[in-house]
Amino acid sequence: MRRISRRDFVKAVGLTSVAGAIGLPMISRSAGSTAQIVVVGGGYGGATAAKYLKRYVPNSDVVLIEKNTDYYSCVFSNEVLSGESSMESIKFTYEGLAKRTINVVHALATEIDPNKKQVKTSMGKAFNYDYCVLSPGVSFNWGVIEGYDEAAAEKMPHAWKAGPQTVLLRKQLESMKDGGVVMIVAPPNPYRCPAGPYERAAQIAHYLKYHKPRGKVIIMDSKHTFTKQTLFMDGYKKHYGDMIEWRSPVDGGKVIGVDVDAGTLITDSDEYKPAVANVIPPQRAGELALKVDLADDSGWCPVDQRTFESKKYDDIFVIGDAADAGEMGKSGYGASSHAKICAAAIAARITGIEQPEPSYLNTCYSLITPEHAISVAMVYKLNDKGTIVGVEGAGGTSPRYAPEWVREREANYARGWFKNMTSDAFG
Amino acid sequence: MKKKLFAVVFCFFFCGMAWAASNEAQSLSVPCAGCHGSEGASKGEIPVIGGLSKVYLEATMKNYKNEVRYSTVMTRIAQGYSDQQIAAIGEYFSNQPWIPGSQEINASMAKRGEKLHMEKGCAGCHGAVGISSIATVPRLAGQYARYLFYQMADYQDPDKPISAAARPMRGMLAGLSDDDLEALAHFYASQK
Repeated sequence: MRRISRRDFVKAVGLTSVAGAIGLPMISRSAGSTAQIVVVGGGYGGATAAKYLKRYVPNSDVVLIEKNTDYYSCVFSNEVLSGESSMESIKFTYEGLAKRTINVVHALATEIDPNKKQVKTSMGKAFNYDYCVLSPGVSFNWGVIEGYDEAAAEKMPHAWKAGPQTVLLRKQLESMKDGGVVMIVAPPNPYRCPAGPYERAAQIAHYLKYHKPRGKVIIMDSKHTFTKQTLFMDGYKKHYGDMIEWRSPVDGGKVIGVDVDAGTLITDSDEYKPAVANVIPPQRAGELALKVDLADDSGWCPVDQRTFESKKYDDIFVIGDAADAGEMGKSGYGASSHAKICAAAIAARITGIEQPEPSYLNTCYSLITPEHAISVAMVYKLNDKGTIVGVEGAGGTSPRYAPEWVREREANYARGWFKNMTSDAFG
Repeated sequence: MKKKLFAVVFCFFFCGMAWAASNEAQSLSVPCAGCHGSEGASKGEIPVIGGLSKVYLEATMKNYKNEVRYSTVMTRIAQGYSDQQIAAIGEYFSNQPWIPGSQEINASMAKRGEKLHMEKGCAGCHGAVGISSIATVPRLAGQYARYLFYQMADYQDPDKPISAAARPMRGMLAGLSDDDLEALAHFYASQK
């Protein structure tokens, strides 16, 4: 890592005094800083962005605003539901980023003023920025499933943001009687982690198989197909027999409402009372993005897919699940890929050196058992219309017909992937 | 506007150095960290690639791309890059420091592996401790044991594709049991 030389330092101090004269906001700007960058949201996207921004532009001030002091990873949180992993194993702190001289501020970012170029926080302090990177994740479209709101999620957990919700769902599974039915309501596209609900079904079945063998998992889906479908269905059958059932809308899988007090899920034609209801609601960009009007009618944030700069406001960049990133699905790995490109774009802006051609990548593993994983991977590029598209001939899923050792290797690599993705973001 | 221009001019002169010249290679390579670790220094299971030779890295990616080497996922990923991009990625990771994997080593297995390593003459190409001076021969010292095991098992498997450069490995490993391969893997993994 480059350190600031004495010569640079003298120049930098020179700038600071001039900057003061022309009215640069002085609050929080340290001597010698070339740019004030505020990153909002400390998930895979935000944490990676902060780290790579500091790496690419060491003499910038990078502030990371994140309300929680601990981060619980959604990736591998399904393995907490099965009991194969613990909450501790998916917990990460921001100490690694703080050591890299990123100013980690634990507060809720309440507002962004694109004119004043300022992020306001719940602790009263506002942060001025030259560039703002917003990685707000997703928020839930409460009420689309009638009766399902924030309060309902305390009884019928979504567990789609890891943390207390994960713990709650795990507890419900633990206290369920043998023979109970777990219903997972899978959300419509697009949503965070396309494979997530289906990996979850397998992980819950894995728990039931050894603890409540008469139990059953039913996936209630509003989609007609889903990612890695044949690989999941084959895996379900192989390891769990008839324990997992998937219902498409044609089979009456579309849930349109809930009655929280009665504990029921409501479809067009029926009403079900599962022992455990895991309702994953429809999603859109994180709340702050909506509040700042960074999203369009789709609920997601349109960005210049080369830089991730918002199409609505200059110098605000939106990355991760909240961004419309062309053909890229919404995943932690994808968010981290956005973050690095966005950091490079901002570094290019600051230094005046041209941004390199962006290269995007996604690799996602799903565990059907601890020894059976499947993956999907894709390399992406920007097409001449400025849209992120998959590179022809690249990527794809694990093969359908493969011996057990292939699945086992992928399960081993899935664990390495988790270690590396998290240490790349938080380490 | 004025301050923006000022900042841009200032930065052009003074922070350009950190924003390195080999931007293109960096842009292609940093996304690999999600699986292979930051700068290719994998923290677990997936092979360490930072600090391997450029020749080996480039050949390996091309082997995956041309499907003359088996991999669960790399054959799919390598298709996404041109030969020039592969060369740039190889260059980038070869310029990173080698940081050995963090793993538990079975000492008695490693000891048995060392014996096999000597007896079979592996040192001829792979060096006394799994560090070769030949650019086409990968470093094994400090690599992840399980990955090394997979790789050796693949070389033994007549149904798996094998590159011309790796073909001697099939003969070298002929007749070795899975236990032998595991012992060898632990020996190399135990070296730093």
